This record gives sequence, structure tokens and C-alpha cells, in this order.
Amino acid sequence: MKINHIALVVSIFLFETAAMAQQEVRKITFTGAARAQFYGDHYQSQNEEDTVTVPKLNSGNTLVDLGINMRPNPQMEIQGMVRVRNDYGGFWGAGVSFDVRQLYVKGVAGGIVRYQLGDINYKLTPYTLWNSSQELVSGTPFLFQQQTDVVNYDHFYNNDNSWRQQGASAEMAFEFGKWIKEIEIKTVATRLRTTDFSETNDRIFSGLNLGLVQSEHLRVGFNYVNVFDIYGTSRSSATFHHPVMTVTMNYNRKMGSWLHTLEGEAGRSNWYYKQQQEDSIPDWQGKFADAKYKIKHSDKGIYGSVQVKYVSSDFRSIGAQTKRVNYTGSMSAFQRIGNAQILRPITMIDLMRESGLYTTQLQTNLMAFAPQYDNITPYGEATPNRQAAIIKIGYENKKSPLSVSATYYRGQEVRGEGTTTLRGFERYEVDASFNAGRFISADDKDASVQIRVRNDRTYRPGTESVPGINLSSRILTAGMDFEFKKQWHLVGAFQLLTYKGFELKSIRDFNQEIYNFSELNLEGSEQLASAGMKYSFSDRAFLSVQYYKFFNHKNEMEEALFTNKQWMLLYQINF
Amino acid sequence: MSKKLFFPLAAAILFLNGCKPEDTFDGPNLEDIYGPFFVTELLTISDESVDLAAGESTRLNARFSKNLNWKLEIIGLSSGARHVHEEFSSVMDYNWNGSTSILPMFRQESCEVMLTFENQLDTLRDTLTVQSIRPLQGFVLSDFESGVNPGWDPFIQSGANMSFIVRNNGQAAQGNNYYDMGGTVAWDWLIGLLDIPASAYNVEHFPLSNNPSDVYFNTMIYKPAAYDNGLTLIQFREDDNGDGNYTSGQEDLWAFEIRGGADGWSTISKRYSDIVTLVNGSETAPIGNGLHEPDKIVKVSILFLANPTSGYSQAYLDYITFTTGGPLQP
Repeated sequence: MKINHIALVVSIFLFETAAMAQQEVRKITFTGAARAQFYGDHYQSQNEEDTVTVPKLNSGNTLVDLGINMRPNPQMEIQGMVRVRNDYGGFWGAGVSFDVRQLYVKGVAGGIVRYQLGDINYKLTPYTLWNSSQELVSGTPFLFQQQTDVVNYDHFYNNDNSWRQQGASAEMAFEFGKWIKEIEIKTVATRLRTTDFSETNDRIFSGLNLGLVQSEHLRVGFNYVNVFDIYGTSRSSATFHHPVMTVTMNYNRKMGSWLHTLEGEAGRSNWYYKQQQEDSIPDWQGKFADAKYKIKHSDKGIYGSVQVKYVSSDFRSIGAQTKRVNYTGSMSAFQRIGNAQILRPITMIDLMRESGLYTTQLQTNLMAFAPQYDNITPYGEATPNRQAAIIKIGYENKKSPLSVSATYYRGQEVRGEGTTTLRGFERYEVDASFNAGRFISADDKDASVQIRVRNDRTYRPGTESVPGINLSSRILTAGMDFEFKKQWHLVGAFQLLTYKGFELKSIRDFNQEIYNFSELNLEGSEQLASAGMKYSFSDRAFLSVQYYKFFNHKNEMEEALFTNKQWMLLYQINF
Repeated sequence: MSKKLFFPLAAAILFLNGCKPEDTFDGPNLEDIYGPFFVTELLTISDESVDLAAGESTRLNARFSKNLNWKLEIIGLSSGARHVHEEFSSVMDYNWNGSTSILPMFRQESCEVMLTFENQLDTLRDTLTVQSIRPLQGFVLSDFESGVNPGWDPFIQSGANMSFIVRNNGQAAQGNNYYDMGGTVAWDWLIGLLDIPASAYNVEHFPLSNNPSDVYFNTMIYKPAAYDNGLTLIQFREDDNGDGNYTSGQEDLWAFEIRGGADGWSTISKRYSDIVTLVNGSETAPIGNGLHEPDKIVKVSILFLANPTSGYSQAYLDYITFTTGGPLQP
């Protein structure tokens, strides 16, 4: 291939230096956010007279994230942000904390390489580095989403599914005149864990992405990520190694008004320890393939997709399989309940507000999950031991207040657990929203209704002696937002989860091998209803007052039959 | 090939190549957890009268409907000796060579064979006979069947209730006799000791390998439930310079202590290369050339000690032997 010319491309990056050079750029700007949040909780046991648990709890905090953005020259940017937080009830220094929330330097070196050092938000693909949304409380109506957004903001969970890491990244691109349009090169290295100078080595995440843009129609990519321990940073002779390698492809073509897109990703993974004295930790070598065909009508707003995927049982990718929710985490509100003061089971309202249930660090092993919340895709797209076909159709048109989508998932395991008979999985989900605002009002007031229904089923036929698996869970979510007066919103939301059935949950040891199964006879429901009012000062600031009533029932525990009434006051401003 | 078809076909081939169902499974077999249990082949014993002294062994077999944890116990009806073997499988195909898991060792006696299963009521039983006991292993310093070797040099304090005597009352760990050490010495830690010189066996040095990692010192020791204050110190004196004698303060004196432990008989085995130099119970630098040279041992000493303020103390000894290649398998 003859290359007519190679141009070093920087303009494709966010740092638009050429543009900045022509504009008068402020050298120092202040950014950040401020928030005040207050909870008033009232716990009530429904099964017994709980004389031990204190039923009412008030908590909250006020915080300011104050960031300074410095641009000493057009090619460099320095960002530092501190958080000052005062817990409710803290005065004169008690309960006040100061943290460095963000610190990075970024810029363009030599007009060629864009770099960033310090705190980095990074993602690659859903099978290499991807921060999948938490189950049950993502994509909920605005009223619920307010609480979840607070948790997400505090844990650096961004809408682009990136993970917050600390390290360095560099990106550059080459532009070609013929055959190939562009080649992009992205690298990243972050430290996941620091040595304790005893038995824990430094652990590094490194990633490489090569993207080849052949034309506006075809794009292929190569991704390589590796998590590894640095030998010699502790006294341990065992080092962890976890490379994942994938190739991606995206091809699109417009035929008439229909845009056809074919995208796919396939790859392999390895997970092993080297120099282990005892040869007891197995190597996990897995593979996956994922292909998706999408079609969309540019005028009518109709769209659809068919996806087929295969993820082997041994596929591991900690950058993509680490869950946001840590089900072994701790809760601040009513951690123990009942006269026996047992640990309170985690519920959907806890997922919305409990900061202690969330993790910011990539986890080496598969994390625990709650089958009643999501037994089909607990680790996102990269959930191991799944082969599935997913069909989605939908309608979304700016000219219409209605948007609707329906998804059907049908899959099964790749390898059985405890038997060669495979679990089957089935999910259907319907999302619909009606945004009537600008159709009923000239000044474009908000008036929207949102509803979502999801049905999950996991099944596996039993034998004469082995019980069959049949676990189903249903989620109904509804929400509304009505701007009854300019900037004044009346909001309401409801979510109901019911689950019932039998599942044999696999129990894994430290080496991720299944060594036993736990019988789960699940039957229960969680119901959350809420109403409130919001005043929007601007697009960046609002004050919201909400009242929640939560009801929990779980057949396994008498203490799990309880209600929780909650007032929440939230003031938030971004600047 | 049409460009339009190339990529969809490539993706389909790639995908289908990966989608092969697997005929294995992860984790334990659910049939083993939930499946019904029954014995498909009853317990059989290949030799019901086993001559252990002649090196005979006997094979025990049985089959079950599923994998599960099972426990085979062979119990000496006279001695109370026990051999225990546990396994997770659906087949028992086990060879017993007369070894003992829980002392005392098997004698000439009838034995009960018992096979039990975890979480199952079923128990399979049978009997076998031990015609003769297992041959002694290694270079045996003494099993006390013929009393105390006349070449030994015992020293016994003149305390109260001193025993230091060979007993034959059915409580021996091996054979019929054992050595009882006991007494009260209010003025000294030492209650009594046994000096065992190589000359007692008509050799200058004990006939052992020169590889200290290959040589094990073993003894069976009994701790009475009533007394926890006893301490047994085993010392090994080496003739580093080859003059046929141990010179105090110039040549290596290796030692280890036995204290505490479970009540009753237990087998103590110590690899010679792991033994250190002790001064007042604390590890210290070697005295001589610092090399573990089992082929240069000229004397083994067994000291029975107790805190003088702690009152009466007692321990039994049996089957003192050096083995090569591994610890004693009683």
C-alpha cells in the first residue's frame, strides 16, 4: 500500500489546540459541585415487636467539591479538586473531612501525543475494560435516579461506563491518504494495588487499543489488556497475570433510509498465577465472541438489533466483570435489625443510597451477586458461561412524544454447573416513555411518564434426584415528572420487584473453583413508592424533597419483613 | 465474494466456531449431593487373616451408588488400635498393610472392620485377624520388650514416687512393654534421664546415613491426662572430630523438646536436619562444626524434666527408633 502522506492528528481529540490558540483561554477556572443531602428514616418491623433496633435515624451531609483548573499554556491542563464534607451533626471540626477527589495533568506533547497523568476515567470495550451499570437501580425514573446519581458521582461512575483509575494514558493517531483513513493508538497503565512490603505485590493494569479506521463504513480494532503483579515488590514469589486480547469490528452501510450496522468483538483471556509454590491455583483460559446486527430507519425512528454471543465458562476479564455493587459491603442505615440484631439483607433502596455497598477498585475474582436481582447478566456483557441471542426492537422519533423498546433475551450456559444439563435463561423487557411536554405546552414544560417491565427466568430441568431450577423475577417500574409551574416539578415513582423459585447458587473458593452449591428457596418482594417535588434553579442546580415508602418481604428471614419510610432532601449544584 | 457478504459471514464463522457445547461441568457432581445412596457391592476383604510380620497386606473393596465421603476403620478388639482411612469416591479399593492411625499399634488380635458414610445411616461391618505384628522399622534403640538395654546409662533423681521402670500392663504402644518415667523432684527440673550410647549396640557411631535430611528420630510417647507439666528433652551428641567420643563444649549437641500435646500415645518423628542446638530451651548457635552428621552420633540422651514447683510428672516411652527415608509409619 502506498501512503501518500501521513498526518499526525491531534484535532480528533478533545484537546482542540488549534481552536484554543485562536481563542482567549482562561488560565485558571474553578469547577466543582456542591451538595446537601438529608435523610430521615423510619424502620418498622412487620413480623415481631422489635424492641432492640432504634427505629428512627437521621443522617446526611453537606459537601463541596472545589476544583481548580489551570492552563499554563494551550497544550497543558492541570486539574485539582478537593472535597470538604461535613456530616450532619458535625460542628467545629467534628465529622468534617477533607479529601483530594481529583488530581491530574493532561496535555499534548510535541503536538503529537495526548497524555494524561494522575486520575483517569478510562474504558475500552465491554469485554476488556467496562464499568457496567449496577442492577435494578439503573435507568430508573428521575425520582429514584437522583439518589443513584449521588452514589455514582461519589464513586466516579460515569455514563460512559469508564472506570476511575490512577495512572497514565497516552493517545495518538496517524492519518493516511489512501486505503486506510486513520490509525489510532491508545495506551493506559494504572496501579490497582500497592505493595504491603510483605506478601502483596504491586498490581498493574495496562491496556493497548489499536483502532484502524478504513473508511466511514469500516472500523476494526485490536485490544490488549493485562493485569499483572510486579515480581519483587513484595516477598511473595507468586505473581498474578491476567491478559485479555480481543479484536473488534464495526461495519455500517446506509441503504436508502435504513442504516445497517454490523459490529462484533471476539477474544481470549488467561488468568493465572506464576511461580506459585503450590500448584493448586488453576489457570483459567477462556474465549468469547459477540456479534450484533443493527438496523435503523433515519426518518421513521424504527430500529432493531439481533445479537448473538458466546462467553465461555472460563472467560475472565476483571476490567469488565468487576461489579459496582459489593454485596459483602456494609450499610450505614439499619445495618442490623430484629431482636437478634441480625444483618439486614440488602434491598433495592440500599442499592440507591448506600455508599458502602459500592467499590471503585477492580476485583481479581468474580464478585458475589444477588440472583433475585439479576441472574442472567450479573457481570454485564462479559458475564461468563453464557451463550445467547438477543433481539431488540424499538421506536424513537423526535417528532413523537412516545418512545418504546422491547428486548428479548434467550440463552443458556456454555458449561453446566454440577451437571452437564445447562441452565436456560430468558428475559423480556419493555421500556416505554411518553414525553408530552412540548406537545401540551408552548414553553416546553416537562411532562413525562416512564414505564418499564422486565421478566427474568432461569430454568434447568431436574432429574429424579436432583431438583430442577426455576427462578423467576419480575420488575415493574413506573415514574412521572410533571412541571406544574415553571421550574416546579411534581415527581413520583414506583418500583416493584417480585421473585420466586429455586436456584442452586454456586459457591467458589479463592481460586474461583466451584466447590459447593447453596440452595436458594427464594420468595419475596420489594416495593418502593415515592413522591416528591423538585425546584430547578437552572439546568445545573435543583432542590428536591421526596418521601419514600419501602416494603420488603423475604421468605427466608422473618426479620426481613419490614417497612422503611424515608424523607430525603437533596440540594445539588454543579458549577 | 461480495463485499456485502464477507463481514457477516466472517462474523458468523467466528461465532459458530466458539459455540460448541461442553460435555464437562464445573463444581461437584449434583448427583453426588442429591442422588440416592445405596451399596452396589458389599464390603469384601481379600485376606481375612493377615500375617503382617511376613509383609502381607489385605485389600478391602466396596462400591456405592455415588461419590461421597466414606470412612474405613479397622479397630483392634484387644489393643484398641485404630486404622482410619477417609476418602471421597464411589469406590473403595484400599490396601491395608497393618499400619496404625491411632496408637497403640495392632497386636495379634481380631479386628473389627467398619465402613461408614457421611450423612448416611448405613454401616458395613466385617472382621479380620492380625496373625502377627508388623516388623520393626529402622535402627531400633529399644521397644522395651526385653527390658532396658544393659548398655544404657540411666540417671534417676532421688525424688518422691520415682518410677523409671519397664511396665507390662497392657498399655504399651507397641508390643507388650513400655518405659514409665515419673516422679517428683522439688529441687531440680531434671527428674531422670536415659543416656543411650552407641556402644550399647557394639558400634562406635550409630549406623545411620550421613544425609541428615534422610534420617528421622522417632519415638512413641504417652502423656497422661492428669499431668501436663512434663517435658521430654532428646539430645544427640556427635563425634565431630572422629576421636570416638563427644567433647562437651567443642562438638555438636543437637536437641529438641517434647511438651504438651494430646493425651495418650502419640508418635513423635523429627527429621535430623531440622534439629537445632538448645540452651535452656532456646535455639542457639551450634557448638561444634555446625553440620548435622547423623553417622557421627555417639550418644542419644532422653531427659525427663518438669518444673520443680509443679509437682508430680509422668510420661511413657516406647518404640524408639531411627528410620531412613521417612518418619516411622506405625
